[in-house]
Amino acid sequence: MKKYIIPVVIVVLSASFSGCKKWNGEHTDIYNYTPPAANPISDKAPLSCSGGSSVVPVKGTMLSGKTYNVNDGCDIVINPADTLFMQPGVTLNMGARSSLIVLGTLISNGSKNQPNWITAPGLVKKDAPGAVTTAQDSAFAGHWKGIIGGPTCNLMVLRWTHVEYAGYTEGDATSKLASAGAGNQYSILFANYKGNFIMEDSWLYGGVDDPIRISAGKIAIFRNTFEKNGVHGGDCLNAKGGTTGTMAYNLFIGTATNGQKASNKGQATGAPQTNIVMYNNTFISGGYRQVQSGRGGCINYEEGAAGMFYNNVAVNCKYGFRVVGSPVADVAHLSYGNNFQYADSVSVANQFYPTGYITQPQQTDIPSIMTSAKYLPSGYKPGDIYDGSDVVRINNPMFLNFPLPTSGHALSDYNAVGSFNFHLQANSPLIGKGNTTIKPLIVVPLDKIYGLSDATPPGADLGCYQLNGTGNQH
Amino acid sequence: MLIICFTATGYAQTIKGKVFDAKTGEPLVGATVSLIAGNKPLYTTARLDGSFSFYKLKPELYQLAAQFVGYDPVTGKIVDLRGGGDQTVNLYLNSQATQMSEVTIAAQGNHESDRAVRSLEKAAPSVLNILSANTIQLLPDVTVANALQRVSGVTIQRSSSGEGRYAIIRGMAQRYNNTLVNGIKIPSPDDAYRFVPMDIFPSEMLERLEVIKALTPNMEGDAIGGTMNLVMKSAPDHLVVSANLSGGMSSLFSGNRPFLSFKASPNRQSPAMIHGNSYSATYADFNNNALTSNKNLSSPLSSTAGLTVGDRFFNNKLGVIVSASYQNIYRGSDSKQLTPNAQPSAIPLPNSPQFSDAYDRTYSTQTQRLGLHNKIDYVINDKNKLSLYNLYIHQNEYTARVTADTLGLGLNSTNLSKQITLENRSQLIQQNIYNSTLHGDHVLNNKLRFNWDGVYSIATRHMPDRTDFQYDANKSLNNAGTVTAEVDNNTKLTHHWENNRDRDLSGYGNLIYNPTIAGQTVEIAIGGLYRNKNRDADYISYSLTGGKSTLYNNNFDQIPFTFTTASDGIGSNNPDLNNNYSVTEKDNAEYGQIKFRLFQKLQVLGGVRIENTAMTYDTKSPATVSQRSGNISYTDVLPSIHLKYELDGKQNLRASYFASLSRPGFGEIIPYNRPGEYYDEIGNPYLKHITADNLDLRYELFPGGADQLLIGTFFKKIHNPIEYFVVRQGGPSNQFIKPQNDENDATNYGAELVATKFFGTIGFSVNYTYTHSRITTPKLNYYNDPTAGFQQDFVNQTRPLQGQADHVGNASILYKSAKIGLDMQLAFVYTGERLAQVSPYLNLDFYQHAYEQLDFSFEKKLTSHFSFYGKVNNITNAAAKVYLKYPHSNLDAKQQEFLGKQDIAAQTLVQSDFYKTLFLGGIRYKL
Repeated sequence: MKKYIIPVVIVVLSASFSGCKKWNGEHTDIYNYTPPAANPISDKAPLSCSGGSSVVPVKGTMLSGKTYNVNDGCDIVINPADTLFMQPGVTLNMGARSSLIVLGTLISNGSKNQPNWITAPGLVKKDAPGAVTTAQDSAFAGHWKGIIGGPTCNLMVLRWTHVEYAGYTEGDATSKLASAGAGNQYSILFANYKGNFIMEDSWLYGGVDDPIRISAGKIAIFRNTFEKNGVHGGDCLNAKGGTTGTMAYNLFIGTATNGQKASNKGQATGAPQTNIVMYNNTFISGGYRQVQSGRGGCINYEEGAAGMFYNNVAVNCKYGFRVVGSPVADVAHLSYGNNFQYADSVSVANQFYPTGYITQPQQTDIPSIMTSAKYLPSGYKPGDIYDGSDVVRINNPMFLNFPLPTSGHALSDYNAVGSFNFHLQANSPLIGKGNTTIKPLIVVPLDKIYGLSDATPPGADLGCYQLNGTGNQH
Repeated sequence: MLIICFTATGYAQTIKGKVFDAKTGEPLVGATVSLIAGNKPLYTTARLDGSFSFYKLKPELYQLAAQFVGYDPVTGKIVDLRGGGDQTVNLYLNSQATQMSEVTIAAQGNHESDRAVRSLEKAAPSVLNILSANTIQLLPDVTVANALQRVSGVTIQRSSSGEGRYAIIRGMAQRYNNTLVNGIKIPSPDDAYRFVPMDIFPSEMLERLEVIKALTPNMEGDAIGGTMNLVMKSAPDHLVVSANLSGGMSSLFSGNRPFLSFKASPNRQSPAMIHGNSYSATYADFNNNALTSNKNLSSPLSSTAGLTVGDRFFNNKLGVIVSASYQNIYRGSDSKQLTPNAQPSAIPLPNSPQFSDAYDRTYSTQTQRLGLHNKIDYVINDKNKLSLYNLYIHQNEYTARVTADTLGLGLNSTNLSKQITLENRSQLIQQNIYNSTLHGDHVLNNKLRFNWDGVYSIATRHMPDRTDFQYDANKSLNNAGTVTAEVDNNTKLTHHWENNRDRDLSGYGNLIYNPTIAGQTVEIAIGGLYRNKNRDADYISYSLTGGKSTLYNNNFDQIPFTFTTASDGIGSNNPDLNNNYSVTEKDNAEYGQIKFRLFQKLQVLGGVRIENTAMTYDTKSPATVSQRSGNISYTDVLPSIHLKYELDGKQNLRASYFASLSRPGFGEIIPYNRPGEYYDEIGNPYLKHITADNLDLRYELFPGGADQLLIGTFFKKIHNPIEYFVVRQGGPSNQFIKPQNDENDATNYGAELVATKFFGTIGFSVNYTYTHSRITTPKLNYYNDPTAGFQQDFVNQTRPLQGQADHVGNASILYKSAKIGLDMQLAFVYTGERLAQVSPYLNLDFYQHAYEQLDFSFEKKLTSHFSFYGKVNNITNAAAKVYLKYPHSNLDAKQQEFLGKQDIAAQTLVQSDFYKTLFLGGIRYKL
């Protein structure tokens, strides 16, 4: 018996110690005064337009917990000197063909517990693979026009905010109010290279063309989830000439074309060269709804764009990380490595280094560029055709809940997170392979409300989810 | 005119001489000279220098006579050859014509001859050049636009099929020139601009073509380069019937390179026009007949026909002329073209050229022109005269364009994945101009005259259902270069409609007072005009996609076209809708001018004109759209003075100053937004009108006949010139191409030479113009900064005005023998290098290389009524070539393979258009 006494005592002691610790506690309830919003926006009646004008000028504060409705066909306009502030827990229901035009400042300040919603009411998500065809999926129907940042929009912050079902064609009247393009079908447009666009911990669901078009701007796009973006084309985060900043810890599933694209096309006089740092992003089944050939499925740098991309994960994307040779990206100022790719099929593996382009295989890439004699044989030059059969289905990334190899559905059917979980299992080959020496390019203000609240630095684990719980918080 | 020439044999004596105008001393070309001995008359016709001769005459007593239209005949002049030897006899005819004036042209006489127009040029108060109907008839050209290139200082801009379309006068592009018919300004069918496409006028309807380069106060003031006045045939003083019929072909077309013809779409109106803008169109609403009816013709026959009938009735009180002209011409071109990328590269050098596509295009253009005109004049009495003029012009232009993209230069092409683009486009443009002018001349007393015009004009342009099919695919290649797969990137079908209508109601009035002051007759004129203009333009296009899954192998009907999203089929969503507009413009102008002789040899014409313009535009945009409507009005005070110093009866020295303006195009002012080649293009409601100060100096020598020598120089300063360049609009990153008033004045100066000389039956005619224009505009420079990376700045660049060539000239050799009834002309046109396309980027402008064209024409009398004629255009198959001034060897390796054949080391050939030779031959009948 004696031999049991000590362990029993230890168990009892440790149990009671930890139990006592649990009993400890401190509760404070200190009176805290927040001045009421000076211009609270009423939710009593829908935001409506009439009398031949589509415009509803809006400024002030949308209050926590309230639901605001925008009537069909109306353009909500935030004038150049005005701010619309959405407190945590606001739902903004956008009517059919309506838009949110930001000529001033928009802050959607949702929180983890009280996210905001800018959405179309009454639509049901059908997110199981193959549950619905693209044509019948309301995600791609473009219910309302989108958040259109005009050339005077100096700050747009989307924090813990769901943006859904946008992408209806802007048309003449809306595009002229926003100085945008009549044919635009973007869910979010930002077009001021002197302005700041911050999107963190948010969700973008559905869309028609480029879900987010950055015509120019200072950007920080951190820890977001992108699903069902673009019908037959469109790059999910499409940054054009004059865009600088960082895209990190984003999860993309089922993008029509690329998840993240950088180009210096259309650089304005006075605007800087496009320079984007992309790290720790995860791309699942990208590029399948873009039928055009060679357009990319995860990351793409082209036409004078500089920057770097590290620690990214691409799983079953139609094309791998793509650097374009004509018009050529600014390859003298473009670096990359520590990027991971996984393929269920040889056609995917054959495009890890897309045929015809100039992506230079890196020693730090996974799968290893030395995997076999067939995979990137000696004498391989960027853009050459190679045989990827030796790297099919190797290095399963060991997500918590996602079937790999996939079965029963085409790769293109995986376009929403639904019940999947892309966090890593402890034995994932992604763990510890990241390059943590690179630096994000932070050009926006760091601020809990009026800027980027958390510039998460590059992580040790590849992709958007870190084993230590940092990175993407969804 | 009858030419019957008998010659006797066995005798050796000659009577020769010349026929002159008794007053002016000019030779009367074409005068009929008869010689009577006994009862056997001999006839001949005075040659180009007025000379005539009768050979191999018996030693007898002869009676010599001469007659000429518009002159009192000379008869019974006795010539005695009985004493042996030759005789030289000059005959002087007195003109019946009233004096020429710049307002009305003498009612009689042969206005259509070179001689008549020389008189006009000489008598005119200002600087002008004229082509006579006789000259035009002999020209190798069948349209007014092509005939214009024969005028000194005029170059033409060609359409894609090589047909001349717009005139550039003294380096001033079409916007700086206006077009008159019988002195009345006509509206343009063009949807955006005020200038009139000059190819819609058949040249045979003209009595003469005037290019007036210095404006007098009584002329409309909106011409800076010059005014083109089309003076149409007026009623003759006796029965005139003329008809012609011809056929021909272009050597461009053959079995290997057929002409592609199509039947126009039956859908004259778009779904939105039929069902309203809220209607949601589907694929079933469209008809693809314009593409599916394509048919190859290996050598289509062009034809032209003309008929003119004119006569005078009721004791010559009523004059009527009716003229109809029909042309059905098949032309085309083979074009190779490199399209610049939207943005050049900043490396290795700033603005390194980048091309996005290399196109091989064939154009097949069928142009049907119908011109009808009719003039009725009624002389009420010797003090009052009325005339009614009607002109109707209709043109159908069918253009089938077939594009094959050279494999591989697409932006998404690589060495193992080639992008190809095929495009078939069928386009019909229908243009109409109708003008009706009622004109009255009234002599109020012996010092006071009044004339007036009431005008209704309408110009329309329709482009019904332009149908455009594009197939864009990528072909994947394996290492051996074999195509392994084809992927449909984009299959697109576009149906597009455009309609434009421009209606003028105008009234003109002029009061001319001729008092005698200090012993000389002074002419004082006052007058004015009022014009009410109404214009509408609408556009709509529907873009359908082919679903991207069906590869195109000439299986057009099997492609499942649909709108990408159903809402794209709704008219009110149409991106073209915001370009629709309507304009009302009310112009009025008043002038006062005086003409007198400061001393015997110095004629002075001076005065001032005031032009008031008030326009209102409206668009279909809703109330929330800035610039959706507007009112713009401006007043211009335009002084001018024209001095003519008559050195002697044959020489003039002229000096003139005039101020003039150019109004912006209607379409430029509208806040339109349409996708352009580099950037989107937008309109500019704040565009100011252009004004100019113009100086002219000219020496003229009219030695007689059709001969002339003109040497002149000009200087123009152009304020607020309108140029298209890149602007930031709305924000720092939104860049557009926009018509802008350049802050800097543009200058344009040059010198002109015209010389025509006949040696009996052979004549030489040359003209040459040197032009130098400069304008400074901001251009983009995209470069690599060592620290800041790629940057873009504006840099000012000075360049010539678009379309201006430093050197332009014509040379022609004419043979005109009235005796054997043969006229021939070999005509050469030279247009020096000129700026063809202004790039928004520094140093990336496109220049059209010097263009040389050789044409030949002839007309041979077969009988007294019938003649045979022929016209051959572009004998040497001259090509229009456009170059970028960048050494082609400096382009990167990938682009090198698409350059095609290059011929200038320091430049890059970016476009070449070949038209081949056009032949036309026919029969003319003249009563």
